[in-house]
Amino acid sequence: MSDRLDGTDPERPDGVDDGRSMLQDALDRQSSGGRHAAGPARTERARVGRATRTPPPPLSVGRWIVRGVGELLITVGLVLVLLVVYEVYVTDWFGARKQAVATEQLDTRWERSGPAVVTVPGSGGGSVPGPSGSATPAPPVTPGEQVDPATRTKRYDTVVGEGFAKIYVPSFGTDYVFTVIEGTDPDDLYIGPGHYEGTQYPGQPGNFAVAGHRVSKGSPFNDLDLVQACDSIVVETQDDWFVYRVLPMQDEAATWNAAAHAHCTGVPKPGGAYAQVFGRTIVQPTDGAVVFPVPGSNSNAVPADAERLITLTTCHPQFSDAQRMIIHGAMVASYAKSSGFRPPELDAES
Amino acid sequence: MYGWIWRHLPGSTSVRVLEVLVLFLAVVALLFFVVFPWIEPILPFDRVQVG
Repeated sequence: MSDRLDGTDPERPDGVDDGRSMLQDALDRQSSGGRHAAGPARTERARVGRATRTPPPPLSVGRWIVRGVGELLITVGLVLVLLVVYEVYVTDWFGARKQAVATEQLDTRWERSGPAVVTVPGSGGGSVPGPSGSATPAPPVTPGEQVDPATRTKRYDTVVGEGFAKIYVPSFGTDYVFTVIEGTDPDDLYIGPGHYEGTQYPGQPGNFAVAGHRVSKGSPFNDLDLVQACDSIVVETQDDWFVYRVLPMQDEAATWNAAAHAHCTGVPKPGGAYAQVFGRTIVQPTDGAVVFPVPGSNSNAVPADAERLITLTTCHPQFSDAQRMIIHGAMVASYAKSSGFRPPELDAES
Repeated sequence: MYGWIWRHLPGSTSVRVLEVLVLFLAVVALLFFVVFPWIEPILPFDRVQVG
C-alpha cells in the first residue's frame, strides 16, 4: 500500500484490477498535496519505503516472460539505432581523423621531397623506374604549362596503408579532396580511397584504379552516381597534377562529340579495345577486369598504345554490396607542380 | 532487467540517475569501440572493391 501511495510502484498498471478509479487516485494524491507536502506520518512512511525498498510482489511467470521479452525488444531496438548512428556518423568521425593524419603525413613527405619539379631520370636516389632510360634531363617546365605525361617519372615510393596522392572531384565541390591510400584492405579503406595494388599509378599508361566507401567511413565515393561525362577528376602526386575526365556514358557513346562542350576537349570516344569502356557501369563484385589496363579485357598487361585511365569503384546500390559501381575516366592534361600553381580544372566545378 | 538494475543501484535517486548515465555510456562505448567494429565486416556495405 505504501508503494501505491508513493506512486512508485512500477508493477501496478494504473486503474486495472483495482476497485478504485484513476480519478480517485488522482484526487487522493492531490488532496495530500503530493509526496513532499504530505503530513508527518506520510513523510515518514515514504522515507522508510525509500530507504528499505521493500521488494515488489512476486510476478507471475507469464508477466515475467512478457516483460522480459518486451525489455529485450526495446534493447535490441536501441542497439540497432546505435548501430545506424555508428555507421552514419561515428565511422565518419573516425575515418576523418585517420584521413587527416594520412594527409598530414603526405604533406610532410611532399615538403621534404622538395620542390624539385624538373625530373631527371636517376635523380630520385636510384629508385626511379625510368621508362625512357635516357640520361638527358627533361625539358624545363614553366609553371602552369601542360607537360607531356610521358616525360614524367614517378619519383615516390608507396607504402601500404599510407597516402601517396590526392584526388579532387571539383563537381562534388571545389573543397572535395581525399588523400589516396595504397592498398584496398578494410584498414586502408577506413583511412580513405585505396589504390588497387598492382594497378598503375597516376599518369602512367594503363589504369589508376581506386576503391572507396560509398556509405560510412568518410563516404568518399558517396556521390559517384552523380558524376557526368567530362566531369574532371584531378589527381595530385608529389611532382604532378594529372587531370582525368569521366568518359561518355553508355547512352552518349554512340553520338559522342567531344567538341560539343569546351570541357569535353580530349575526352575520347570509346573505340577499339576500349569500345566497352564507359563513364559509368554497374558490374558484379567478382568482375576484377574493370581495373585492368584495358578494362574488361582478359589481360593484366599494359598494351603499347594504352590510354591513361582512372577507375573508381564503390559499392552499389547504396547501403548494399550486391554490385559495384565503376567510374572510368581518361587523362586529358597534366601539369608539373610548382609553388602557387593550381590547375584551372580544380576551380571549374565541371 | 531495467527495473532490477534500478533497484540494485546504491544511493539516492539523483545519484542513481548519474549511475544509470555512466552505465549507459559504458555500454555505448563498448558497442562503438568493440562490438560494432567487430561485426562491421559482415555488414552489407563494407565491401567496395572488385575482384
